[in-house]
Amino acid sequence: MRIANPVADLRDRYRGKSFGEVAVQLAVRNAMVLILLVVIAYFAYRSARFATPENLLVILIAAAPFALIALGQTLVILTGGIDLSVGSIIAVSSMSAAWVAVRNPDQLWLAPVAAIAVGLICGAINGLLVSVANVPPFVATLAMLTAGSGLAYAIGNGAPINGLPSGYGAFANTEVFGITIPVLLMIVGFIVFWFVLQHTTYGLRVYAVGGNSSAASLAGVPTRRMLASVYIISGALAGVSGLMISSRVISGAPTLGQGYELDAIAAVVIGGASLFGGRGTVWGTLLGLLLIQTLNNGLQILVIPAYWQAVIKGALIAAAVGIDVWASRRASR
Amino acid sequence: MTAALQVQHVSKGFAGVPVLRDLTFSVVPGNVVVLAGENGAGKSTLFNLIVGRFAPEEGTITIRGTHLSNPSPRHARELGVALVPQELAPYEDLTVAENIAVGQEPQVGGVLKRREMHRHARELLAEFDVDIDPSRRMRTLSVALTQIVEIVKATSSGAKVLLLDEPTSSIPEAEVERLYAVIRRLRDRGVAMIYTTHRMQEIEAIADRVVVLRDGVLVLDEQAKGLAPSRIVSAMIGRELGTLFPERVEPSDEVVLDVQGLHRKSGAPEVSLQVRAGEIVGLGGLVGAGRSATLAAIFGARRASAGTIRVGDTTLERPRVQDSIAARLAFVPEDRKRDGLVLGRSILDNMTLPHLSDYARLGVLRSGRRRAAAKEGADGMALRYNTLQQLAATLSGGNQQKIVIARWLDRSPAVLLLDEPTRGVDVGARSEIYRIITDLARQGMAVLLSSSDMPELIGLSNRVLVMREEAIQGELTRAQLDAPDAQAQIFHLASGEGTELLATEGTKETR
Repeated sequence: MRIANPVADLRDRYRGKSFGEVAVQLAVRNAMVLILLVVIAYFAYRSARFATPENLLVILIAAAPFALIALGQTLVILTGGIDLSVGSIIAVSSMSAAWVAVRNPDQLWLAPVAAIAVGLICGAINGLLVSVANVPPFVATLAMLTAGSGLAYAIGNGAPINGLPSGYGAFANTEVFGITIPVLLMIVGFIVFWFVLQHTTYGLRVYAVGGNSSAASLAGVPTRRMLASVYIISGALAGVSGLMISSRVISGAPTLGQGYELDAIAAVVIGGASLFGGRGTVWGTLLGLLLIQTLNNGLQILVIPAYWQAVIKGALIAAAVGIDVWASRRASR
Repeated sequence: MTAALQVQHVSKGFAGVPVLRDLTFSVVPGNVVVLAGENGAGKSTLFNLIVGRFAPEEGTITIRGTHLSNPSPRHARELGVALVPQELAPYEDLTVAENIAVGQEPQVGGVLKRREMHRHARELLAEFDVDIDPSRRMRTLSVALTQIVEIVKATSSGAKVLLLDEPTSSIPEAEVERLYAVIRRLRDRGVAMIYTTHRMQEIEAIADRVVVLRDGVLVLDEQAKGLAPSRIVSAMIGRELGTLFPERVEPSDEVVLDVQGLHRKSGAPEVSLQVRAGEIVGLGGLVGAGRSATLAAIFGARRASAGTIRVGDTTLERPRVQDSIAARLAFVPEDRKRDGLVLGRSILDNMTLPHLSDYARLGVLRSGRRRAAAKEGADGMALRYNTLQQLAATLSGGNQQKIVIARWLDRSPAVLLLDEPTRGVDVGARSEIYRIITDLARQGMAVLLSSSDMPELIGLSNRVLVMREEAIQGELTRAQLDAPDAQAQIFHLASGEGTELLATEGTKETR
């Protein structure tokens, strides 16, 4: 494998240009990174509690469950689809895991198996609806969102499942190399997804199906199987995410994950992905995720009322994407 | 009388390649000029110049006495130019009345006056003796009626110069007369029209004058009355075919592609055909005759309902694309932008897409190998590019087409299926593509080629199968293709009706 040499690339690209020109170009090309840094700097300036290692860990822990569904969402959006059901899948899988754990307190390993299996099944239903029945992704996953949410309530007869064995908290709270499992999964997840999309046959085919599914199909790419696979992966990751969230609070609740799909979609789109498919990167999703999570955390620390937090967050997301689009137009000129 | 349109000494090129050279002609009001010429002769460039989309490099275009000095589509429209494109793009889900009104809606303070809009549409349609209910959805109209509505729309805003780009190419024979009626009525109202077509009998039916372009040069400009079709044809083709088409190869006896009883869908006739190693077999026929559908069914792009396809030693029943690729079939679709390329990805990615697993181990791409293969493919095709990372969207039509062909070659397929391989490709790239196709046949590949371009079909093929109504109607051997009436024969088989005129004239002239 040829390893790219970023330094050499930069040197070639900016050869013969003044330091000022290079700085402006780099800034324009990496507008979203700059925006994130500005937001971080602002919060750090406003609150001494923000820029601390402890708070960084808080941000990462909060980000982890979103990270997994945002990665799944990245795949789905790259194929030109959308997965609205991940929030509901989190709810169903957390309820299923809790339900299993309550009944098998001595065999807690069954809980993650249940959560992931439920996620896989929900994802597979989405995938079949989209790829075989040709239901538009928006409709198929909206149906799953609705049905999944109802199912989550049905599992506990409308109530949360509490009284779980204390070992149930181990999934989210065990530390490996000094970081908790969800954060570790997030880091590994980003690396794996980056590798898959950049360096594997599967990744390139995802881009091809999203960029032009007819051409991909005539080039022998099994487009239906590819489409089904991204929803299955997205569902499975939502299942893992559901386990992590319910393990952190050591209970199963049908309201867990509610509305998470929107933050996941927002992260992907802030990261520069096209909702028409074929364009987007894991790096972009990471930036989008960090921007949203930093805003959540920083606005919380500044003790801004929840409703104003939502208003500010919405406005800042729109502004950030606006600046990024403007900058990338400039860069491509 | 002032000319409605005057084109004087106009030249235009792209990236240094001249497309139109020193073109001069004019059209008076109430005159229908048929503009004939092969694909790539410069007809669409001329249209684009007249509608102000391009600016001429040299020369002037004058519309009704006003010089189109600073060309823009808007300025041309204000002067009364309207274009009905070949690919119609109506608002399918709006009504006929709404389609006509868009852009000039009758309104009061932003509120649409629906009744007024319908009345206006009905009046306009009545003027042309067209009986269409203005409240019908556009989607429910036939192509011919859609065409007519587009023409009505174009002229309702007072167009005096109307450009019609192959208006009959996708209209069934029976409906063409309705279109003629509309055109004659416009002619009586003093509208000047330029009309492109490939059909000889249309010239007879509708043209006042005929202008022929060949490789960007005006080679014929005469009154239609008394003009022999054979003169038009020879003006269009004109050049030595030998310079464009490489020497053909003598095929071997070994049958490489054997299609038996290919049945596309219920009600459609069965298709059987054979192609031998080193042989180029042409598929001729009119648009909609089933050529593309047959190629797609052989490759499995659209699954056939029955049929056996043997490629070398492999026998496939109703293959899927993956099976066909594994059996070393390769397919170059008609519409490279829609079905061929992922335009937003690089040359590298597009070049290697069909055989990705060849350049991967355990699903991980090995970029060194992938680059080497892509580079070899690009160089073998004389592809003009800067880097392999360049997006496919940035290449010219000819270079894009080369990618769609080249990407199959590094596994040396046994059979190459080509659907309109030079559509929208300029003359230079076209001759390169012909050379490549012939070279591949020389290496023993079996080539099945569908084309609407007669010279291409005749110049490349060892034999030609002609299709009509989804069935193969007949075959022309090489000897028959060399005969002077080959085009007429093909046309006769393709249309299923008498083309005595063209046939007799053609033979007389050349003998």
